[in-house]
Amino acid sequence: MNRSYYWLILGLSVPAFIWLVPTVWMVSLSFQPNELLARTTSSTALGLIPIPFTPDNYIALFRFGQVPMWFLNSLIVSVGMTLAVLAVSTTAGYALARLEFPLKTPIIILCLMGLMVPEQAVFIPLYTMFADWGWHNSHHALIMPRVAVPIGVFLMLQFFKAIPKDIEEAARIDGVGWLQIFWYVMLPLARPAMMTLAILTFLYAWNDYLWPLVSAQQREYFTITLGLASIQANFAQAEGLGRVMASGVVASLPVVVLFLIFQRYVVRAMTAGGTKG
Amino acid sequence: MPQHQGARLVLSQGQAAAILLLPFLTIYAVFLVYPFFKGVWISLHDWNLMAVAFNPDAKAYVGLSNYERVMWGSNITWGAWASPAFQFIGLAGVVASAWLYRTGRAGKVTALAMGGAALLLFVLPGFHPGEGGRWYDRRFWPTVGNTILFVGLAVPGVTITAMLLAAALDGETRAKAVLRTLFFLSQVLSVTVVTLIWQIMFSPRQGLIANLTQLFGGSPIVWLTAEGFAMASIVIATIWWSLGIAMILFLAGIQDISKDLYEAGALDNATGAKAFWYITLPNLKRTITLVVVLQIILHFQVFGQSHLMTNGGPNDTTQVLVRYIYQTAFRDSELGRASAMAVFLFVIMGGFSILQFVLGREKDQ
Repeated sequence: MNRSYYWLILGLSVPAFIWLVPTVWMVSLSFQPNELLARTTSSTALGLIPIPFTPDNYIALFRFGQVPMWFLNSLIVSVGMTLAVLAVSTTAGYALARLEFPLKTPIIILCLMGLMVPEQAVFIPLYTMFADWGWHNSHHALIMPRVAVPIGVFLMLQFFKAIPKDIEEAARIDGVGWLQIFWYVMLPLARPAMMTLAILTFLYAWNDYLWPLVSAQQREYFTITLGLASIQANFAQAEGLGRVMASGVVASLPVVVLFLIFQRYVVRAMTAGGTKG
Repeated sequence: MPQHQGARLVLSQGQAAAILLLPFLTIYAVFLVYPFFKGVWISLHDWNLMAVAFNPDAKAYVGLSNYERVMWGSNITWGAWASPAFQFIGLAGVVASAWLYRTGRAGKVTALAMGGAALLLFVLPGFHPGEGGRWYDRRFWPTVGNTILFVGLAVPGVTITAMLLAAALDGETRAKAVLRTLFFLSQVLSVTVVTLIWQIMFSPRQGLIANLTQLFGGSPIVWLTAEGFAMASIVIATIWWSLGIAMILFLAGIQDISKDLYEAGALDNATGAKAFWYITLPNLKRTITLVVVLQIILHFQVFGQSHLMTNGGPNDTTQVLVRYIYQTAFRDSELGRASAMAVFLFVIMGGFSILQFVLGREKDQ
């Protein structure tokens, strides 16, 4: 390593620090007492260091208020959506990638066209449909629209296509049926792709804002992302800045932890989601 | 035929495929294909959300009049200098894409797409109400203009920052990996967390930026409610939020460039900034196009930043298309008109999606 390398890293630490400041500030504010924040947000080092320190905001968050319930809703919706997307995407992706049947190309093209339709182009008709069925204010109403988006099918299709043919042929000679090949041979091989798809879906479900805003009108069915939006409008008066910031930290915790543990998969998932849908 | 396992063996490929495809295709048909066509159908009706909720027959077929009421007006004329700023950029874009194509700096598809978009930018803002005329919907086109302005600021901002960072952070060392993680981190946050953070960052009374300006003796700016600064604020928050994916795509693009080129360049004294300009940049053309198209698709759908940080204000300067659709549908209950706007959005997004698909195909070959 030469000197210019160290200068480069040193030079980059400055923008990196600036990049990190907003997040650090949120965490720091969440640990400061509300009465103090009402007067000033810059008590120690512009407020970037939580002195005076208090965990009260978090305690209050879990004792009163709806944040724990919203958190649970987010968890149910995100896990439910992830499982549903995995189920329909692996099966359809396998069939389209490895099996021969009539109308295969038209079906692939039909699915490809679905990638062009943005959420904003269908959220009004979906709203009227779900209203007719009495579906609003439920977990499945938040889950189902995303399960129909064919990104997952194409991710799995590409993965299954890349697996060599002879694995299947060996099993066919032994007289194993197609469904068993899918279940016992292909699915275990597909674990990395499924992981990527699962993370992509979970992040989407956790962070989605527009559809929950339209579909969940009762506060008991808010996701944490939607709930946070509903309290940030009048944060200063009602709840206290520290508590709102604590809600923000709680809302971000699962996705940040997921990112720090599975960084490689998260990066791959988000770029795949970005480039394909 | 043996009973114990024969029952499953007789499934033909076609039957197995049908079983495996059925769950997805059913959901796809019910929750995406049908709603899409229903959306088009709603856009052809005078459809009030409340009225139809109580009485399903309270809608009336009106043909294309929703589109007319949204996009057209009385006595509309066209002029080459009706909206000089947009039209000049459009005209410059047409010339630039023709020049890029002639000099071989851009491929056929890229040049055509760029030229087409620029031509639209020249033609569309030229329409304006003539004497005594007016738009039927005064807010629609300004809203589209704001959305384009937002895209026009956020996309270059993200692309240039991400490209420079990627060029600097390409490499296998520990320190660079940590820095990459830092810059990517904000990408996983939800739009409500991002707007929460930046709303308070920009707050003139409590905000970190205001505190900083006061520390240096300046007077704080009312970022989110000042007409000149509101759009800038949501663009800054957006760049902070969505830099990560672009950076990763650029990193992948840079890693595809042959190391021999840099070694050859080093012999000619091309290192650092020179190497970036003469080697990295020309070889990243395809990645740049891909990132730009992707970002356009992503940021054209902007909603949360405007809805939560500025409420579309001040004076409608940050009102964007999706927020206008949302309000028309769910605040004004005008589902028909909102659906017409949604179809308009779909047409634009669809165009860019096809472009993205074609570009992706080119890359594979």
